[in-house]
Amino acid sequence: MKVMKLWDLVKIANRNLFRAKLRTFLTVMAIFIGSFTLTLTNGLGGGLRDYVNNQVKNIEGSNVLFVRKKMPVREDENANPDEPREYKEASRDDAGNPIDPDSMIVSTAQAENLAREFPEVKNITPSYRIDGEYITIDGTKKYQVELGMLSEGVKQKTEAGKTINGENQIMLPVSFAKAFDENINRLIGKTATIGYKAGKSETIKTLSLQIVGVSTKGMMANYNCFVDTKTARRIYDEQQNQSDDYNKFYSFTFLLNTNDEKKIADAKKKLDERGFTADTFADREKRTYDAIGILQIGLNLFAFIALLAASFGIINTLVIAVLERTKEIGLQKALGMGRGKIFLLFSLESVLIGFWGAVIGIVAGIVIGSIANVFLAKTYLESFEGYSLFVFTLPTIVFVLLLVCAIAFLAGVLPAFRASRLNPIEALRYE
Amino acid sequence: MLEAVNLGKTYISDGVDYEVLKNINLEIKQGECAAIIGKSGSGKSTLMHLLACLDEPTTGNVRFEGTDVSTLSEKQRDVLRNEKFGFVFQQFFLNGQETVFENVVLPMRIRGATQYRLTKDAMDALEAVGLKDKEDKRAKDLSGGEKQRVCIARALIGSPQIVFADEPTGNLDSNTGGAIEHMLFQMNKEKKITLIIVTHDTDLAAKCERVIEMKDGEVVKA
Repeated sequence: MKVMKLWDLVKIANRNLFRAKLRTFLTVMAIFIGSFTLTLTNGLGGGLRDYVNNQVKNIEGSNVLFVRKKMPVREDENANPDEPREYKEASRDDAGNPIDPDSMIVSTAQAENLAREFPEVKNITPSYRIDGEYITIDGTKKYQVELGMLSEGVKQKTEAGKTINGENQIMLPVSFAKAFDENINRLIGKTATIGYKAGKSETIKTLSLQIVGVSTKGMMANYNCFVDTKTARRIYDEQQNQSDDYNKFYSFTFLLNTNDEKKIADAKKKLDERGFTADTFADREKRTYDAIGILQIGLNLFAFIALLAASFGIINTLVIAVLERTKEIGLQKALGMGRGKIFLLFSLESVLIGFWGAVIGIVAGIVIGSIANVFLAKTYLESFEGYSLFVFTLPTIVFVLLLVCAIAFLAGVLPAFRASRLNPIEALRYE
Repeated sequence: MLEAVNLGKTYISDGVDYEVLKNINLEIKQGECAAIIGKSGSGKSTLMHLLACLDEPTTGNVRFEGTDVSTLSEKQRDVLRNEKFGFVFQQFFLNGQETVFENVVLPMRIRGATQYRLTKDAMDALEAVGLKDKEDKRAKDLSGGEKQRVCIARALIGSPQIVFADEPTGNLDSNTGGAIEHMLFQMNKEKKITLIIVTHDTDLAAKCERVIEMKDGEVVKA
């Protein structure tokens, strides 16, 4: 004997649902709200991830460590804040200067001392802050400029040309490059002149640098002109040598002479023991993605609550349906329909409620999200070029669909099971 | 072909035992037309339920073509009812919202028949009861007699060996009832389908070739 095919049952289940139009509509709407929200929250996470991807992946450096002093941990952290704390004399460094244990600043000398303990460290670059006034190529068109530096070992992806690979070099953002010459390739090799103020005087000094590359779009690269470390050092010295914080920095990059993962991990551990945090590019990326992940989970939680509420609606709908169709179930059982098929039939009805709710919710979410993207790109998000608030990916959508169907199935299990267990004679006699 | 061997059924309600059937022994042969008659509470419906494998006896067993039905699994019993038995009820038990066609093909759907088979068998069954032109009407729009004819078509569609009819004319007026009775008897004679009618109507019972009289859970005349 051939068994009732699954597809036939699906068709019958669907027909049963659409026979009770209003009731099905209301239950589906409840699921719609949940799946619509879930689609949008996942879209938000996708958008953030997408943006970070685009911004962050433009700069790389596999054997570079970003080194900072660790956040100070107070010895008496568990002390009662209402009580006065004991006063301790400040300790002093090699030069006799008092070391503030709460300070995160590290002098170049200290950093170099530290680096000497690590044979893997090839050289260190302080995070120089430099200010530029203008940049020009032909001397007549002058543009305001933000100067940045690519540390040793850090590479920026390019639309044309190459990343910094020597001295007296500069990279231009795409927008700058296009302003000088529509054909950005023609700029490679040309000389750019930057003007900068030195120290407290108002005179503007100039430097000629060779344009080696045009940066791809990215977080810093959108408006920073990157120079090499030697140039940055020179400008820094001239600008900051009178300041109190001269040669003191919050962070350094350490260029390592190895790509070996274990050696890098060991170096990080040793730095940690000395009181410094050391992150690779990968570490920083991971931290950002983790933060996005947590945000997304938080948002999704709200959508889940909506789905949970909706699933009670499904349970209710199924319970009523089983009650209404008691005689019908009794007859079907009398005519030979097995328990399993009855269970399957009602389960399918609840899964279909979830399915239709999910489909409508997902489609609506994508439509609304896409409209929002277009609208926002022209208004609030104008400055964040390339950032779409909502990004929808196929795996996520499929996941939402399957998840909602699974929740719907679970909601229907109990009523469907009870339907399958009905005694046919009693069911037929049901008033 | 269908036997009851020392059949007994006891219901427990609120801690009290009700012995609805006491030690029934009877045999119904293929092609017979038998009426089970008795007053309300005589156990006639219960006997039918047991014979039709809709329920399990407390004592004794039911045999169909020599096989003890209690040795079959639940699935096998489902298959047995689906393929060998047909049912006609007093209250019809049609799905009013569905079409006549859908109501009639239900046993075949349960069997997993192909769409082609369904359509063909439905046509034959509806023609046999004279309702071919009403195929697409909603069942709730039919008259009582037409509804019962749909039920008969539904009972016959799977080519059963036995048709169980529980008060088939109970909800019909005497004219329509008569037509239905005639249809059932004709089916029994022409197609040699065993007909077992449960009723309290003595006139109807008299038209059957065999009368099994029930009283207080026992067979008083077979």
